[in-house]
Amino acid sequence: MNHYQLNIKADDKQVVLERILQVARYRGFLIEGINAKVNTGTHIGTIELMVRSERPISFLVDQINKLIDIKDVKVDTNVTK
Amino acid sequence: MAKEKTHTNEYAIDIQLGELNKKMASEKKQTGGALLFDVLQQHGVEHVFGYPGGAIMPIYDALYDSDVQHFLCRHEQGAAFSAVGYARAAGKVGVCFATSGPGATNLITGLADALADSIPIVAITGQVPTSVMGSDAFQEIDIFGLSLACTKHSFQVTDINDLEKVLHQAFAIALEGRQGPVLVDIPKDVQIGHIVSQGTVVSTLKNKVNLPPANVGSAIAMLCHAKQPVLYVGGGVGMANAVDELRNFIDITNIPSVSTLKGLGAISPDNENYLGMLGMHGTKAANLAVQESDLLVVVGARFDDRVTGKLDDFAPNAKVIHFDIDTAEINKRRVANSAILGDLKTNLPALAIPLAIEDWQQKCQQMKADFGWEYNHPGNTIFAPAVLKELSEKMPKNTCITTDVGQHQMWAAQHMSFNDPSNFLTSGGMGTMGFGLPAAIGAQVSRPTDCIIAVSGDGSIMMNVQELATIKRFQLPVKILLIDNAKLGMVRQWQDLFFAGRLSETDLSDNPDFVMLANAFDIKAKKITGKDEVSAAIEEMLEHNGPYLLQVKIDAADNVWPLVPPNTANDKMMEST
Repeated sequence: MNHYQLNIKADDKQVVLERILQVARYRGFLIEGINAKVNTGTHIGTIELMVRSERPISFLVDQINKLIDIKDVKVDTNVTK
Repeated sequence: MAKEKTHTNEYAIDIQLGELNKKMASEKKQTGGALLFDVLQQHGVEHVFGYPGGAIMPIYDALYDSDVQHFLCRHEQGAAFSAVGYARAAGKVGVCFATSGPGATNLITGLADALADSIPIVAITGQVPTSVMGSDAFQEIDIFGLSLACTKHSFQVTDINDLEKVLHQAFAIALEGRQGPVLVDIPKDVQIGHIVSQGTVVSTLKNKVNLPPANVGSAIAMLCHAKQPVLYVGGGVGMANAVDELRNFIDITNIPSVSTLKGLGAISPDNENYLGMLGMHGTKAANLAVQESDLLVVVGARFDDRVTGKLDDFAPNAKVIHFDIDTAEINKRRVANSAILGDLKTNLPALAIPLAIEDWQQKCQQMKADFGWEYNHPGNTIFAPAVLKELSEKMPKNTCITTDVGQHQMWAAQHMSFNDPSNFLTSGGMGTMGFGLPAAIGAQVSRPTDCIIAVSGDGSIMMNVQELATIKRFQLPVKILLIDNAKLGMVRQWQDLFFAGRLSETDLSDNPDFVMLANAFDIKAKKITGKDEVSAAIEEMLEHNGPYLLQVKIDAADNVWPLVPPNTANDKMMEST
C-alpha cells in the first residue's frame, strides 16, 4: 500500500471537497487526511489530501484534474512514500 | 399538439405568474424561468423532453410563452433517454426537464448512461425553494449531491444573479472536450425571481489539450515499423465528428480495422480491411487480428473490459498508439507507447501515411472470409441474426437504429451495417435496458424525415413501455422490431453456460400480448412466428406510414455467438455449446 499527498488548488466552491472525496473513494484511494482552506482574496481553495492505495497516484491525479472546479493538482513528493 | 390552457391551482404563486411576466416584460425584467428559455434558444435548443411537477412549475409556466417545443414523456427516465437519443442522432445537446424529488431521481439512470457514453445533455431540475432547502420538504432530495457520481458536472443555482452564467456554462461543459451530461438544479424561488438578462455570456473552460509534437514522430516511427498493425476504433470518433478524417486515414494506410460497440458506423462497412466488432461478442476475425497484432492504433476508445477480455492477455505482443481527448484514459487500463491527446480531426491526419503491410492485409482478409457469418438455420423457426441482416439490407439509407440491451443488441451489432455512428444508438458503457424506445423517440424528433427503428427485446421493452404513449401523443412514426424469446435472453444464456443451467428468474412467458399492447396505443402491430413470414413483415413495417411494432418470435434457446467467457483471452472464444 502506497501513501500519497496531493496538493490541490480549486475554485472556492462549497461542493468541491465533496467532488474530490467522491472521486478519491470511487477510484480506489483510501482517505487518510484532509486539510482545506480558502484565500479570501483570490477565492482559491487549497486542499491537502492524504490518501493510500495500491493504485498509481497518476490514476487519481488524472481523475481529479478532470473536475471542472480544479485548477491544479500536484503530488507532494516530499510526503509520498 | 395544441397547448393546454388549464393550469393547476395547487400553488397560488404559480397562478399569478402570467400577470407577473407581463408586468416584468415592460420593465425588461424576466423570471428565472423565462430566462432559461432565452438561454436555451441562444444555444439553438428547439426541443426538450420532460415531465412537470410542483417544484418546476414556474419553468413550465414560462414554457407556455416559449417557442421551444416540449415533448411530454411518461416517465422522467424516458425524458432523459429521449434527450440522449436526440443528442446522439443529431449531434446536438439534448435537454430534459424534471421536477424535484422523485422526478429528479428518475433522471439519474439517464444521466449515468450519458456519462458512460460521453453524451452531451443538459438536465434541468426544479428544486424546493431555498428557504426550505435542507428541511426535508415535500419532494425534496439533494439531487445536486446525487448528481456528483453520474454527471460530468452539476450546478445548484441559489442566487438568480448566477442563473444566466451557469446555464451558459452548462452547455459549454456538456460539449467541451470529452462530452457528457450536466445537471442544473434550480430552486423554485430562483425560477420565479426577477432578473435582467446580461446578454450572451461566452464561457471559457480549462483543459484545452494540444498535441505534443514529439509524440507524432514516435508514433509515425512505430507505425512505419509495424508489420501487423490494427486500427481499434471507438465511440470517440463519432463524438469528435471525425468520421471523414478516420476514413481518410484508413484509405491512405489500408490498415486492417476493428470497432467497438459504440464505434460502429465510423468505419465504412464496405471496407475490405474492416473486420467488424471486437470483444466479447466480436467477430472471430476481429479478435484474432487484434490478438496477433504488433501495433494497436487506438482511436477514441478506452480498453473497456467488454472489449479486452482478460486484460493481461489482450493483444499481448502489440505496442499501443492511443489517440484520445481525455488525458485520464491514457494508461488507465493499458499503457500507451505513444499518447496523442487532443482533437481527432486535427490529429488523425498527422499519422496518415501509406503502409507496406500487404501480407498482413491478405491474412486479415482471409480470416474475414474464413470466419464469416452463417445464416443457415434448420426448420421454420425464425433466426434473429437473419432477420436483422435482412432488415439492414432493406431499410432506407440513413436509417437510425436504436437498441435496448441483451441478445438482440449484440445480434444487431453483429449483423446490421451502419454508415455513420449517429445511425446506431445503443447503451454501451452502462448497458441500460429500457434505453431503446425513448432513445428512438428522441432520434425521431431530431430527424423527423429519417426512418428510426428501435430494435428491442421482450425484457427490455417493458422497462420503458410507457413511452408508447409518447409515440401516440406526437404521432411519431417510430418502428419497433421486438425480438421475443419470452426470456431475459442474455442472462438465460449465461445461466446455461456458466451457472450449470440453473435458470433463475429469467422466464418471461407471462409477458403481455404485445400486439394488443401496441394497439392500445393506436400503434399498428403484427406478430410473426415462422421464417416464411419475415420478408413480407419487414417490408410491411418499413412501408407503413406511422408507428409500427413487429413482434418476432424466436427460439428461446438461441444464443449469441461467438462469446468470449469472462476473464478469458479474446482468442479463446466459444462458438457453440
